[in-house]
Amino acid sequence: MKLTVVILISAVLLSLACKADYDIEEVAPPEHLGTDHHDELDECEHEDAEHVESDHEHEAETAEPGSVHEESHEIDVSEISGSNRHVHDAGQRNHGTGWFFNQPWAASFIWGKMLRDSLILLVLAAVILFVSGYRRKHQ
Amino acid sequence: MKPVMTFALMTLRNLLRRRTIWGISIVILIALFGIGQIPGFGVSNEGRFILDFGLFGLEIGALLLAIGLASNIYPRDREQKTVMPIIAVPLSRSQYLMGRFVGAAIVEAAAMLVGCIGLMIILIMNGHAVPADMLPATGLLLVEGWFLLAVVFFFSFWTSPPLNAPLTTLLFIVSQMSVSGFIKLFPQAPGLMRTLRLFLPHMDVFHIKDPIAHGMDIPGLYFFLAALYGLAYMAFMLSVALAVFRSRDLK
Repeated sequence: MKLTVVILISAVLLSLACKADYDIEEVAPPEHLGTDHHDELDECEHEDAEHVESDHEHEAETAEPGSVHEESHEIDVSEISGSNRHVHDAGQRNHGTGWFFNQPWAASFIWGKMLRDSLILLVLAAVILFVSGYRRKHQ
Repeated sequence: MKPVMTFALMTLRNLLRRRTIWGISIVILIALFGIGQIPGFGVSNEGRFILDFGLFGLEIGALLLAIGLASNIYPRDREQKTVMPIIAVPLSRSQYLMGRFVGAAIVEAAAMLVGCIGLMIILIMNGHAVPADMLPATGLLLVEGWFLLAVVFFFSFWTSPPLNAPLTTLLFIVSQMSVSGFIKLFPQAPGLMRTLRLFLPHMDVFHIKDPIAHGMDIPGLYFFLAALYGLAYMAFMLSVALAVFRSRDLK
C-alpha cells in the first residue's frame, strides 16, 4: 500500500514537471524580451535608409547631364557607421545582447521554477530511497 | 553519521595518495597560467577575457576531476574485493556510497578552491581587480562538479571506467543545451525529446561568468536558489545511484 502511494506521488510529480519544463525564451514575458526595442531599431534603420535614398536623389538632380555618375559611398558609410549611429548604455538589453539576458541569473521570473524543480527533485530522491530500501528489505 | 565521516576520511586519504588528482590539478593550474599569458593587444578590459576563460577552465576542471576521482573507486573496490568486507559488517550500502562520495567531494572542493585562488593571483598579477562574486561563482561551479561526481558514481555501478568517462562527458554536453536545442537533435519526436530533456539539469543555472566578467551584480537570492537546485539534482542522482547499487549482486 505504502509503495503504491509513493509511486503514485512520484508519477504525479513527474507529470507535473514534464508539462512544466521550459526554455527561458518560451516562458519570458514580453517586457523581458524587449520587443519594443526591436521596433525602435527598425524605425531607426528605416530612417537611415530614407536619408541615404534622398541623398542619392539630390546627387542625381545636381549632376550635370552627360557626366558619369560616381556614387560616393564614403559619405553614406560615415553616416551609417560609427559610434554616433547606434549606441546602447552598458548593461542595457538590446537586439545584440538577448542571449546575455536570457540566462537564468537575469531572468528572475524563472527563479520560482528553479525552486519548484529543486523541491520536486528532493521529493523524488526521497521516494527513490524509500522504494529501493523497501525492495532491498523484502528481497 | 560518524561511520560515514570516518569512511569519507579514509577515502580522502586514498584519493590523495593517487596521482590522478595531482595530475588534473596541475593541468588546471597550467591552463590558468596559460590564460594569464594571453597578450592583451591593447584591448581595454582584458581582465574580462582572463576571467571568462578562467572560470570556463575551472568548469572543465570540475568535470575532469569528477571523472578522475570517482570513475575508478567502486570498480577498484570490487576488483580488489574490498567492498564485500566493508559492507558485510561495519557499513550499509548507503553509508558506503555516502562515505565514498563525501571523500571525493572534499577533494574536489579543495582542488576548486586552489583553482579559484590561482585565478585570483593571475588577475592581480595582470593588474586587474578581483570581482567580489568570484568565490560564489566558483562555489556554483563546485556544486556543478558535485552533481557530476554523483553522475560518475551512478555510471560506475553499472558500466566500466572506460565507458563512464564518455557517458559523463556526453551528459555534461547535452545538459548545456536548451530544451529547444535538445529537441533539434531529433526533431521527428519532439515530445520524446522534451521528456528526455526533463531528466537532464539546466546547467546554465551554474554559469554566471558572463555577468561577473562584465561587472554586473548578481542577487544573493540567485546564488542560494542555484546552489539549492544543484544540490537537489545531486541528491536525486545519488539516490538513483544508491538504488542501482542496492540492486547489484556483489557475489
